[in-house]
Amino acid sequence: MKYLFSWLKEYYQTEKSPEEVAADITHLGTEIESIGGVQIDDKVTVAKILEVKPHPNADRLQIARITTGEGELEVVCGAPNIEAGQLVPYASVGAKMADFEVKEVEIRGVKSPGMLLSERELGISDEHEGIKILENVEVGEKVSAYLNSDPVLEAEVTPNRGDVLSHFGLSRDLAAQEKSIEKPVLDLKESGGKASDFVLVEIKTEKCPLYLARVIKGVKIGPSPADLKAKLEAVGAKSINNIVDATNFVMLDLGHPLHAFDAGKIQDKKIIISEIEQETEVVSLDGAPRALLPEMMVICDAKRPVAIAGIMGLKNSEVDDETTDIILEAAVFDAKSTRKSVKELSLQTEASYRFERGVDTAGTEYAINKAAQMIQELAGGEILEGVVQAGEVEKPHEVKIEYERINDLAGVEYGKEEVDKTLTNLGFKVKNGLAEVPSWRHDIFAWEDLVEEVIRMSGLERLKPVAISKSNKPEPTDYFKKEKIKDYLKEFGLDEVSNYSFLSDEDVIAAKIDPKDLIEVANPVQEENRYLRNSLVPGLLKDITKNPSFDDIEIFEIGNVFLKEKEETNLAIVTSGKSARKVGEILKSFCEKFSVPESVFKVYDIDREELKRFKIKKPNVSVAEVRLSSVDSTAIPESGKAAILHRKPTGTDLEGDEPSRLSGAGVSLGEILPKLKFENLDLKVKDCAIQYREVSKFPPVKRDLSFIVDEKTTLNDVKKEILSATKFAFLVEAFDEFQDKRFGEGKKNVAFHVWLQDLQKTMSDETADEQISKIIDSLQKKFQAELRS
Amino acid sequence: MKQGHLHPSTRFLRELVQIFSELGFEVYESPEVDSEWYNFDALNIPSNHPARDVQDTFWLKDGRVLRTHTSNGQVRYGETHKPPIKIIIPGRCYRNEATDATHETTFNQLEGLCIDKKVTVANLFATLDQIINKIYSGKVEYRIRPHHYSFVEPGYDVDIKVGNKWRELLGSGMVHPTVLKNMGIDPEKYSGFAFGLGFDRMILNKHNIEDIRLLLSGDLRFLRQF
Repeated sequence: MKYLFSWLKEYYQTEKSPEEVAADITHLGTEIESIGGVQIDDKVTVAKILEVKPHPNADRLQIARITTGEGELEVVCGAPNIEAGQLVPYASVGAKMADFEVKEVEIRGVKSPGMLLSERELGISDEHEGIKILENVEVGEKVSAYLNSDPVLEAEVTPNRGDVLSHFGLSRDLAAQEKSIEKPVLDLKESGGKASDFVLVEIKTEKCPLYLARVIKGVKIGPSPADLKAKLEAVGAKSINNIVDATNFVMLDLGHPLHAFDAGKIQDKKIIISEIEQETEVVSLDGAPRALLPEMMVICDAKRPVAIAGIMGLKNSEVDDETTDIILEAAVFDAKSTRKSVKELSLQTEASYRFERGVDTAGTEYAINKAAQMIQELAGGEILEGVVQAGEVEKPHEVKIEYERINDLAGVEYGKEEVDKTLTNLGFKVKNGLAEVPSWRHDIFAWEDLVEEVIRMSGLERLKPVAISKSNKPEPTDYFKKEKIKDYLKEFGLDEVSNYSFLSDEDVIAAKIDPKDLIEVANPVQEENRYLRNSLVPGLLKDITKNPSFDDIEIFEIGNVFLKEKEETNLAIVTSGKSARKVGEILKSFCEKFSVPESVFKVYDIDREELKRFKIKKPNVSVAEVRLSSVDSTAIPESGKAAILHRKPTGTDLEGDEPSRLSGAGVSLGEILPKLKFENLDLKVKDCAIQYREVSKFPPVKRDLSFIVDEKTTLNDVKKEILSATKFAFLVEAFDEFQDKRFGEGKKNVAFHVWLQDLQKTMSDETADEQISKIIDSLQKKFQAELRS
Repeated sequence: MKQGHLHPSTRFLRELVQIFSELGFEVYESPEVDSEWYNFDALNIPSNHPARDVQDTFWLKDGRVLRTHTSNGQVRYGETHKPPIKIIIPGRCYRNEATDATHETTFNQLEGLCIDKKVTVANLFATLDQIINKIYSGKVEYRIRPHHYSFVEPGYDVDIKVGNKWRELLGSGMVHPTVLKNMGIDPEKYSGFAFGLGFDRMILNKHNIEDIRLLLSGDLRFLRQF
């Protein structure tokens, strides 16, 4: 929600700056995400242009002679729109603007003590074509007096704190650090007979505990005055007319949503709160047709619904230019019921947002009175005598204050008096160790909820951190075993990838998986999130296609897969490319190392058809997958079993096809994790300095380089030097290192693949050659390296 | 000769696990597909409560969900273990939304849970201080501010300063008595704290990675740099 700083200050008196107040609010649990509004430095004042002359040394610049009220001076100006006689904003030296500070400068030989400002420089708009011309202002005055807007604090209000969704509510929370505050007394002038003779209110549902109505007769509908409009617009509310604006104002002011009906359109002057019995078509105030479903709470007149309770009024009872008499509504609608209707109608409003979070039940009458008074001030008319009421204000409940346990949970010794005082400031009524919860707080049910109040109000700094008692390093669990497998495969030269857990229709077709075997997402926002994977293989095959820059690919993934009735953690390995090793070779070594039979893996070659479906151009693709362990999974609810769809993927016919080999379902993989033998399970956390370089959208080129260097020079030293020699290199991998007599005593040969890329365009051979020369030069200088090829 | 590469998330998680192991936290893993009960209701997030709106959930046609946090492991673990409990739950979580450079459907979280007799907010703050200082080698400014999560009371967020802006690092709080009850643990005798940190953003910050989607891209030009 957006809060206007000056509006908060109507209730919370403070000398603090907006930034300081924002920090206080954040520390009280409502995070202020930004402070908006225009703040112009006091060093920006109104000046009058006396004369405009050309700049002696620049055609595009002019010199303006101005008076600031304190004296005359000359400033250089580049804008073409200045003329003698204009009033303009002048920033003197030292003025702090949004992006810069004004300094005395010399422009093409002419000194300029300060500058004239455009709207953009003032920070009030993006307009920067010319200097802002001011009207109806006095020379020498601060421009902030004319153009400043109030600071607007934008807050993230957590769902438990409906009570701060208003200017008064947030001020009350702020003030509670020292004292409790009260709403100002209203001055309501009633006349013209009893409201209860004019309108009848009846509640026919348990979902509405309280409904108040007031009647105002003889109003004149019109636009709201400029200051009210400005106030509403500053916090993001649209101004509509004086009546609607008054109700919106009170909602933003006090947090209580209100609604105004045109009394002339309410049949038989009856207001009945009830539930829809059968589906009904209506048109809401926003002009949209809506289908109201059974059990939705509505406000009806004698014949038909006139509002969706707590959400929005209907068009049929709207206040328009002809309206003269008004029925004003202030009610309490059940949070859960409102939320249900919001979901079913996909219609959330400022009103429903507040009812879902709970409103101040005992404050309902004050809210309706304030709105009535305001309507009278804005639109005239008579406020009929009395409030017409149905239902009751909810009785407050009490919570036992467990002083000792509050201290125990917090880890701080708060005195009893301090706790009582804090709660009293927050509006609790404290008596005999019991706290009566204020009518606006719907998040306090037990003493634990009071802990939070005491801690936040007395300041988090009161908590002195106390370390938890030491315990032994725990036994390694399955996680550590999986990490050992990763280490082994990495040492063996494989790259670990991590793919999405989803399969799209396209993937399902490519992998020839029967969707019957897959768990389907009910509400995917993106198409590619339609199914959950039941095998790691489709993802790994797609990775081959995604990496045209690498000739040989040897990758693995450890991740969860989802079968209909259970979740499992699998390991899959995929290799591809002319010189890539077949998975058989990798598995042989793997199984030897961990003492498991190779037969636990499901291994297969991919045929030409499958390659085509996955758009793989590389030869020699081989695949293996194994189940590491079952995951402690959860039962499918009975209702869900029937909902599982038996459908085919679009655009293909699987009938007659043999079941896919890629599908994990039906494959009997053994669980191998418990069978693996590990020597030790310590985690390898090697912090080799990684120098990450952004990956280009354009393809890289690969070059191989080999050098003779001193045997003491490490591969890592050379790698680092290559990366620092050119920013075009982003990947450097050693592929050879050996000594030979012919290189000389104490020398060795080192060889590297170097990938070069250009972030802006495709890497050209020319640029690549240049960069390679740079690398060679710098290796020569640094290591006396001698290029071999 | 040829060296493979570990995924940056693997590497980073190991660093975290190391830190927590030294503090005595055991690694526990919970399922990614879970019931509405373990992911929401058991954690005091009923279906008719606005707190559910905070999450964009992937609902499955069989009525279950893709977990929105690894907190789904809290009650699962609590049901089968007696205090003292000291666990971390790392793993993949899901958010049903459109992806871009800063939004992902699939992200990593590490949940922590510590339950014993007389565990206090002061203990929580001390633990947060220890882990933040270890993760950032003491070179970070952080703040703790009250926040609301249905499964804790009171609840706190921790922000760290990145440049001159505060960025949310983790959510935390004292385990809600209702959640303790759902674990079969008596809230009259025991208390505890929990925290959850999404560590993908930490990886991005650490290496200045421009696009979160690179993590699951399968792009070896990216992965082989780690």
